[in-house]
Amino acid sequence: MSQVTLLPERIGRIFVDALRDWSATAALVRYALAHIVALRHPVVARVLYRQIYFTGIEALRAISLIALLTGIVIIVETVSLVGHQPAILGQIMLWVVVRELGPLLTGIVIIARSSSAAAAELATMKIRGEMNSLRVMGIDPMDILIVPRIVGMTLSVVAVTFYFQLTAILGGFAATSIWYGVPLRQGLQGVIDLMTVTEILASLTKALAFGIMIAATSCSFGLRAKGTVTAVPQAATGAVMRGIITLFLLDGVITYLFFV
Amino acid sequence: MNHASYACVLDVAITAPHRIAFQVPAGSVCKLIVSSRDRKNELLSLLTGLAPPAAGSVQLLGEDLYAQDESQRIAVFRRVGVVPEDGGLISNLKMWENILLPSAYHHAHRVEDVEPRVVALFNDLYPDRRDLRSIMGKLPDQLSLRERRLTALVRAFLMEPDLVIYDFVLAGMDREAAARIVAATSEFQAQHRDRTSIYLCTDEGAYARVQADQTIELEH
Repeated sequence: MSQVTLLPERIGRIFVDALRDWSATAALVRYALAHIVALRHPVVARVLYRQIYFTGIEALRAISLIALLTGIVIIVETVSLVGHQPAILGQIMLWVVVRELGPLLTGIVIIARSSSAAAAELATMKIRGEMNSLRVMGIDPMDILIVPRIVGMTLSVVAVTFYFQLTAILGGFAATSIWYGVPLRQGLQGVIDLMTVTEILASLTKALAFGIMIAATSCSFGLRAKGTVTAVPQAATGAVMRGIITLFLLDGVITYLFFV
Repeated sequence: MNHASYACVLDVAITAPHRIAFQVPAGSVCKLIVSSRDRKNELLSLLTGLAPPAAGSVQLLGEDLYAQDESQRIAVFRRVGVVPEDGGLISNLKMWENILLPSAYHHAHRVEDVEPRVVALFNDLYPDRRDLRSIMGKLPDQLSLRERRLTALVRAFLMEPDLVIYDFVLAGMDREAAARIVAATSEFQAQHRDRTSIYLCTDEGAYARVQADQTIELEH
């Protein structure tokens, strides 16, 4: 009896927690947009550049490898299934890499690398009283810690997503060129011919939405940390889990809006 | 009561029977003697706008801290230098970045603008440490308590604040280091007629060196 009544309660609590998290995330995004001028300050701009370096530049090695392997696997599987047909190969690469896997895998890599790191860093700063140290120096911690992180991570996700797509397509067709003797240009031409404004817009929308969501979620979990050092891993884990779930939800919603 | 001539006016009730009230005139040096570290932390939180009192008000430089919103309250601290006992440094910034942070943020100071003053201050405060350049690149967790506190002291001095709050600034220092800190803070106070210095301290002998215009003993 109690288990039967507890189940809806548990499910309800999951939704309530998720709504609370998304509401806190949305509040941070609103704050960042309202205080975007803080980035004009040289000290805040330096935090922004540092964030872009950590989230964007430092992720490129892992992203390059994943993108290259993804492109090669997709193209080899497709060729083995339907043979070498440039139009189909182009279509598959466009649908799978540009529409879906590019933004999604980039998002997952950034969540694993940077979202957990940002949440842990902010949680540590909060627990050690460093937010208050900034306040007594006359510096608003939200302006110097949150605004540049949200903007920096968002810009990084957009740029890295584009880089992923480019690497995966080039890598995939380079592999067919080497192994099957199909000219690289022919394969790329197949993708370019099928590319539409909607494809580019959908991909850009996903990258932008994922970037904002990942950044704000990590900041939100970091800022929520209270009390002891055990709150730090909790913030990091929470940011990763909530980030991944929201990433797939957003992906579904954007795909539905553009292509259904 | 006209509070314009006071740098700090505090009249608060913390918990039911406990009430604290004192005034520190602008341009003076005040020793606030507290009974314990816990009481000091409570008082420091009140003075730095971090813990609203149950009742009453805290005024710094004519501004009622708890009658303002967060951003206005933060703005008051552009004119206040706080030297926390543990340094209050930002853990992901190197020592020189910590020193420069508030003055770069509020006064757009660059390294080359403040370097001669920072070197001169450290030479006075820390003459036994010759390799200053090597510690400047360290993170706060790699610094000793003395180094962290001196970093906070120099950071506060660069801001040229109207009010400086020294939080147990001599605690844990050896006799010579304490004497150097007192000399430096006294000289800093003397540089501007309207500057006010508040030392949060215990009744330890080390603080006897601080020449105060007023000593307030808080017994709550």
